[in-house]
Amino acid sequence: MADKENEDSQKAASDRKASLVIAVAGNPNAGKSTLINAMAGTRLQVGNWPGVTVEKKSAEFEYSGRRITMVDLPGTYSLSPYTQEEIIARDYLVHERPDVIINVVDATNLERNLYFTLQLLELGIPLVMALNMYDEAEQKGFRINAEMIASTLGCAVIPTVATKGEGIDRLIEMAVEFADPSKRYSSASASYGEDIEKAVQTVVENVRHRGGKPSGHEALRWQALKLIEGDELVLEETGISEDEVFLEKATHHLRKAHGEDLEMLLADTRYGLAAGLTREALQKPEKRKRELTERIDAVVLNRYLGIPVFLLSMWLIFKLTFDIAGPFTDWLDAVISGPLTRWALSLMTLIAVPDWTVSLVTEGMIAGVGAVLVFLPPIFAMMFFITLLEGSGYMARAAFVMDRMMHAIGLHGKSFIPLLLGFGCNVPAVYATRTLENPRDKALTALLIPLMSCGARLPVYVVFTGVFFSAYAGTVLWSLYLLGIMLAVMMGWIFKKTLFRGEAPVFIMELPPYRLPSVKNLLIHTWEKGKHYLIKAGTFILAISIFIWFGLNLPWGVESKKDSYLGLISQAAAPVFAPLGFGTWEAASSLITGVVAKEIVVSTMGEVYAPKACEEEQSEALTVGEDLKEIGVSFAGALGEAAKNVFSTFGIATISAGEEDTTGIKAAIARNFTPLSAYAFMVFVLLYVPCLIVLIAMRHEFGTWKWAGVAIAYQSILAWTVAFIIYQGGRLIGIG
Amino acid sequence: MSPLAFMKEGETAEIVGEPLMRRLRHHHGHCCGNVGPSAAYDARCHRGGPGHDHLNDMGLRPGKRVQMIANSGTGPLILLVDESRIALGRGVAMKIYVRRIEA
Repeated sequence: MADKENEDSQKAASDRKASLVIAVAGNPNAGKSTLINAMAGTRLQVGNWPGVTVEKKSAEFEYSGRRITMVDLPGTYSLSPYTQEEIIARDYLVHERPDVIINVVDATNLERNLYFTLQLLELGIPLVMALNMYDEAEQKGFRINAEMIASTLGCAVIPTVATKGEGIDRLIEMAVEFADPSKRYSSASASYGEDIEKAVQTVVENVRHRGGKPSGHEALRWQALKLIEGDELVLEETGISEDEVFLEKATHHLRKAHGEDLEMLLADTRYGLAAGLTREALQKPEKRKRELTERIDAVVLNRYLGIPVFLLSMWLIFKLTFDIAGPFTDWLDAVISGPLTRWALSLMTLIAVPDWTVSLVTEGMIAGVGAVLVFLPPIFAMMFFITLLEGSGYMARAAFVMDRMMHAIGLHGKSFIPLLLGFGCNVPAVYATRTLENPRDKALTALLIPLMSCGARLPVYVVFTGVFFSAYAGTVLWSLYLLGIMLAVMMGWIFKKTLFRGEAPVFIMELPPYRLPSVKNLLIHTWEKGKHYLIKAGTFILAISIFIWFGLNLPWGVESKKDSYLGLISQAAAPVFAPLGFGTWEAASSLITGVVAKEIVVSTMGEVYAPKACEEEQSEALTVGEDLKEIGVSFAGALGEAAKNVFSTFGIATISAGEEDTTGIKAAIARNFTPLSAYAFMVFVLLYVPCLIVLIAMRHEFGTWKWAGVAIAYQSILAWTVAFIIYQGGRLIGIG
Repeated sequence: MSPLAFMKEGETAEIVGEPLMRRLRHHHGHCCGNVGPSAAYDARCHRGGPGHDHLNDMGLRPGKRVQMIANSGTGPLILLVDESRIALGRGVAMKIYVRRIEA
């Protein structure tokens, strides 16, 4: 045994030049992601959502000739195996055993954070504590004896201010030093008292005797503690049964002295230690100052003002999104359909490619991807404001304010956060359900998320409102978002009465202090959220666009798109949509392909309705220089218009993408739809099946296709029914 | 001794009634693993798993001093636990007992 350990450490020592793995763990809202950004600087990309770490993310950078891999674990309050985030963090730490843990601790909230630290220390992995938000603690008049914490727990304690980059260099330095196996800082884990330590000793010896040390080298103490607690996962993993004789024996005394609930006993012990150490190491001022956060909360969470304030902030977000993004959308549209297409055409003429390739590039790739790319500005703007909501701390308040309403649909306030995120993109929203403790809540929330109108549906609305409702486009847009919310309430209520009976469980959630997020952090997180959309456009949507082009042009030499493969399939499907007012093969084809991602609905229309535009456009033989100048001038114009919109209007300015649109999609839409059928179509796009990526996310998150299947089924029925009611109802009362 | 939910804004109290807290742990049980409406009463949950909510992990445990920040009589309330604001549903707050501390 000893030999093997020796070998291990030698092997580790020889590896030490090459690479180190640092895991970053801590409570939510302790400033973990800011700290990681500060440590890794611009050398890497960290995909993290403040408060809502979507997945375990890692980042790599060089430090004094070594490759450092930093793994960002989800923020959790404990390492118990009961929420998915805790299991992710725990599995990583136990099975992958990083070289060192950086434990991010909120210095203003020592006791609770130390409770988590103690759990981390049980793992026997070297630990360096970042005593973060040290400046805030000082402002509160706290005096923290970092050395005492370090010597009591056997770890390093570095005061840090992640937002200002203070203490970061020292933190990395210490983490690297602690990771060094030759120096082998063993954490002199704080004693849990004679009774418990004795039991641990007995269990350790027995487990060792059995020859099994299944989950790693120094994890024995941790394993023993978990076995004493009766932790299901560890019992399962070690194959030790709960009523094993030695386990029974080891815990006999504990049970007699402290009662049967040993898990509770250990929690009490850890809390006792954390509380004791906090009393010793922390000096608080006599009087607590009333903080800014409390003064803001007095208004924002006021019983009468809470909901109006929330609605007002949502309205502002929508208004600003469209005001700012509108002009840039128009500009992008002009650039893509004008100069970009022209350049591609001239290039292809130059190298003399066959006609079908020209068509594939312009009508397939540029028209398809372009139709989606045009909407980058509003999507990024929306992501920016959602990031602002999260980073400022208001998101948790919104959840608090909405708690009462959420109870009506069998959920509580915390589920509101994933739903709100859904307005940006449904995919991260599905992953954000991970923060919910209860599987019932998780599944129910995930089922309702697709009813939140995401950024990808926006292109469809904008194109259609632009054609039919340009005078009151803002109202029409609002009505769609609102309809989604109302139907979510209705479906939530139905699900509560059918699939998800039972009471909504405990609502408990921390309200972080208000913080003004730094511009840099805001931009990083906005980019992290928005880039998926960009990547999707460049890969997924490009591929689908090409696929659709072939679908529309095969069999080879087909005269009319209607007789192409896609056309034939769509013709067969079209009658299904006829009672909804859009039984054309063009609409059917865009809906069928839109299952992959909803923005494809517009890109398909772009291809289906695309006239043979190549020749007409070529006539305006502008030079590249003139084109560039034009792009610059119109961009400046867009900037000015965005600024004007923000300050001049109180209504929502709308995106009028391609009003001067030359490709003729709009004209074609105007011919094929009536205002009524257009509205029914938009509603259908809002509601019908979640996009493929959301379905995959659901599968990934729940480990079964069951909920994705339920979503497909109920949404198809809902979409068809609501669109039917709108179209037929509208006709009955004589609209359209 | 009275339920936490009855504390007025600004009042400070100490959480008492360990047995109550323990019972609560088993009341609001749920467990990890399989997802679905029936999972709540999965046999596996019978031990260890069930009562785990974050009450304990977030510092709401017997002996802890808390201050009521917001309590409007209906809906959730907000407590100050050390330096963190914890929003708590009224249902749980009715089941946690506290002893008021005279200011």
